[in-house]
Amino acid sequence: MESRGRQPVADVALQGGNIAVAEVADRGKVLQKLRMTDIGFRWLTRGAAIAVLLILGGIIVSLVWGSLEAIGKFGFGFLVTESWNPVTEQFGALSPIYGTIVTSIIAMVIAVPIGLFIALFLTELCPMFLRRPIGIAIELLAGIPSIIYGIWGLFVFAPFLQQHVQPFLINTLGNVPGIGGLFAGPPYGIGVLTAGLILAIMVLPFITSISRDVFSAVPPVLKEAAYGLGCTTWEVSRYVVLPFTRVGVIGGVMLGLGRALGETMAVTFVIGNAHRISASIMAPGTTISATIANEFTEAVEPIYTSSLILLGLILFAITFIVLACARLLLMRLNARVGA
Amino acid sequence: MTMANFTVPTVTSTVTSADGLTEKISVRNLDFFYGDHRALKTINVALYHGKVTAFIGPSGCGKSTLLRVLNRMYDLYPNQRATGTVQLDHDNILSPSQDLNLLRAKVGMVFQKPTPFPMTIYENIAFGIRLYEKLPKSELDGRVQHALERAALWNEVKDKLGANGQSLSGGQQQRLCIARTVAVRPEVILFDEPCSALDPISTAKIEELIDELKEDYTIAIVTHNMQQAARVSDFTAFMYLGELVEYGETTKIFTAPNDRRTQDYITGRFG
Amino acid sequence: MALVSGAKSPLYAQRRRRNGIAMALAYAATAFGLTWLVLILAVLLWNGFSGLSLRVFTEMTPPPGAAGGLLNPILGSIVMTGIAVIIGTPLGILAGTYMAEYGRYDKLSAVVRFINDILLSAPSIVIGLFIYEIMVAQMGHFSAWAGAIALAVIVVPVVVRTTEDMLILVPDTLREAAASIGLPRALMIQKVAYRAARAGMITGVLLAVARISGETAPLLFTALNNQFWSTNMNAPMASLPVVIFQFALSPYKDWQELAWTGALIITLSVLTLSIVARALASQSKSQ
Repeated sequence: MESRGRQPVADVALQGGNIAVAEVADRGKVLQKLRMTDIGFRWLTRGAAIAVLLILGGIIVSLVWGSLEAIGKFGFGFLVTESWNPVTEQFGALSPIYGTIVTSIIAMVIAVPIGLFIALFLTELCPMFLRRPIGIAIELLAGIPSIIYGIWGLFVFAPFLQQHVQPFLINTLGNVPGIGGLFAGPPYGIGVLTAGLILAIMVLPFITSISRDVFSAVPPVLKEAAYGLGCTTWEVSRYVVLPFTRVGVIGGVMLGLGRALGETMAVTFVIGNAHRISASIMAPGTTISATIANEFTEAVEPIYTSSLILLGLILFAITFIVLACARLLLMRLNARVGA
Repeated sequence: MTMANFTVPTVTSTVTSADGLTEKISVRNLDFFYGDHRALKTINVALYHGKVTAFIGPSGCGKSTLLRVLNRMYDLYPNQRATGTVQLDHDNILSPSQDLNLLRAKVGMVFQKPTPFPMTIYENIAFGIRLYEKLPKSELDGRVQHALERAALWNEVKDKLGANGQSLSGGQQQRLCIARTVAVRPEVILFDEPCSALDPISTAKIEELIDELKEDYTIAIVTHNMQQAARVSDFTAFMYLGELVEYGETTKIFTAPNDRRTQDYITGRFG
Repeated sequence: MALVSGAKSPLYAQRRRRNGIAMALAYAATAFGLTWLVLILAVLLWNGFSGLSLRVFTEMTPPPGAAGGLLNPILGSIVMTGIAVIIGTPLGILAGTYMAEYGRYDKLSAVVRFINDILLSAPSIVIGLFIYEIMVAQMGHFSAWAGAIALAVIVVPVVVRTTEDMLILVPDTLREAAASIGLPRALMIQKVAYRAARAGMITGVLLAVARISGETAPLLFTALNNQFWSTNMNAPMASLPVVIFQFALSPYKDWQELAWTGALIITLSVLTLSIVARALASQSKSQ
């Protein structure tokens, strides 16, 4: 049997390809059973996929349900009212919305250019042996839980800003006509600016890693063609890589924005939790998520709870739109690279 | 019926012909579509039991597509469909009521690239057997050994049956896949360019193997290597742009083809 | 000749200069990004290690001004994270399986993929509100179950995403080979595709664990907090992140110190998890 020669005829008849009719019937029975398993498994997985949709549906329905009371009482006025007074039960979302948007803008203004430059460094400049370690280090920065950024911001970063950076800003930019108002007031340490800066550090890795991914999706021939014309690295990046990946970069930026808008713990520690809109970004403020985190367990009146849930609904709506746009843009880029 | 008649594809019943040939698979008026693109145009061809039929032609001519109709592999993907009939013995395998798993157990396939499953050598073979039969361990061992012997791999792997199938060399992996196919006891084996990823020595082994296997099975092989078709096959079909241009005994096709395009292709004037 | 003179032209010099500035900025930006990582880790190690002792792992959280440890929040975190993974992982794997296998080309998968990607980055505090509404408000009390389910909701999209990505990487030829011996789809997935994608899928679960072990916001008003030892899943349960939040914002020096130690423990576990996950992923890629 161990020789590789032809099988003896009898052996072929026994073990060869011609299957007796009875055996075929047997197989039919086995396959029948297997087919039931297959159908069962198919429905099980399909059910799980639908469950993902149900989670989203559940979030929307439960938030709307929970906020009905506040919607009924305040209506659209909720969006444009600044006062937030648990004692008189007057609630308006303007200052948390304002704080959410301003901190996110500060974060994006700082993190986007830096993130793009790091991505540029990682794809074009960095020596090969350093690419992986630096890439991993940046991604580890993304993995650090937000509460760590919060505690670090509160005990280390805010005092540092208060003593060294904010007095400087107040004394210089604070006196510039036009934008001076943004940098007015005493240096609290905590406040809108501090929260924005912490957010910038937090979203930096997201923007970096997505930009790096889309940058490295540029076909090498395209870059080589530009280098072949004698372009500098910067010119290749600016006039070839960036235009080619623009859609993806914008998608990545919006993904980072989605993170910044919804971030809770890092902001809660350092924003100061003041329900007012100040002209100065040095002043304390609040964001939607910080308000919910700080006040939810203390809210005893139903209308207070309902108002906080309505805040959550607004936050979810804003981030949903931003994230949906981000995904659509990234999908468009993928479709183009794929084609 | 003389062999020359094969150049006009015959459409006959599955009875044994005068030459002692039994039609195992007969394809009639087969059209195949990828979406709106018609990739196969009115194909008529027969595969005979105990014979090797080779499909040759330039890339994109539809030869692999035709092979993938014979075990309905195309069903795994959307927007692909076939019309016409394909008789396997007496059943039309294109009918919607055809049990695909049963069909594929009868019509095995060996692919262009070796595709060992991510498990041990032993499991790669035993897996398919266990699917259909509950066997005692000793009998299962025997079946695994037999399959590996038929694939001329036993001597090389008998001491490392517990090793991962993916640790073998490319040629060994391909023979493992042949053993895996044989173990399920198919009636037909389809080879889709089985040697295109292999070195000449492994190729020679596979060809030798095909020659041994044809005693017991109906074999179809797609190849872009004309010498290979000439070496291993009894019948050859030349395909071009989705049409079956010419079909007949291999010696006839390679020495005196009827069609000008066949002539041009086998003499290397295009392809 | 034109080239040589071109090389010395003012235009070329300007291009060179511009390039130099941009390259310097790229280096500076990278240094800037890495500096934060180093700074945060350094401060964390400095403040965290000073409070690290055996007591941290053997004693309960203390009242203000007394000595104590972090035993109850550590165990609470482990329990809730574990339950979240047990609930979320199968659901995520099954959903990802549908999208990569049975429904790869259908509309449902496209919709689920889109929604899942949004859930992946949805604000976790909103998830906390969701679970509060459907569990805490209905049952009338905070509970560890609610906390675990909130974390499970965060696990699902992470696992769905990695499962789908990893299964799509399994070559179609392997699927065809399985089909060619008559294997039904369910068995092909369970015995062949899962095996081929195993390392990647484990990576996904590890990343999900890393993600939820630091999550604070969804626990604030689901599991709440508990000063004491509790294994009752129907009662509030302490967790490391929530205790850090509470202690760090307190005026008591001892509590703040414990908060730093807790932060160090969380960060080290999260970093270890993500490094192991990455190592596993790159190992499976090179195979």
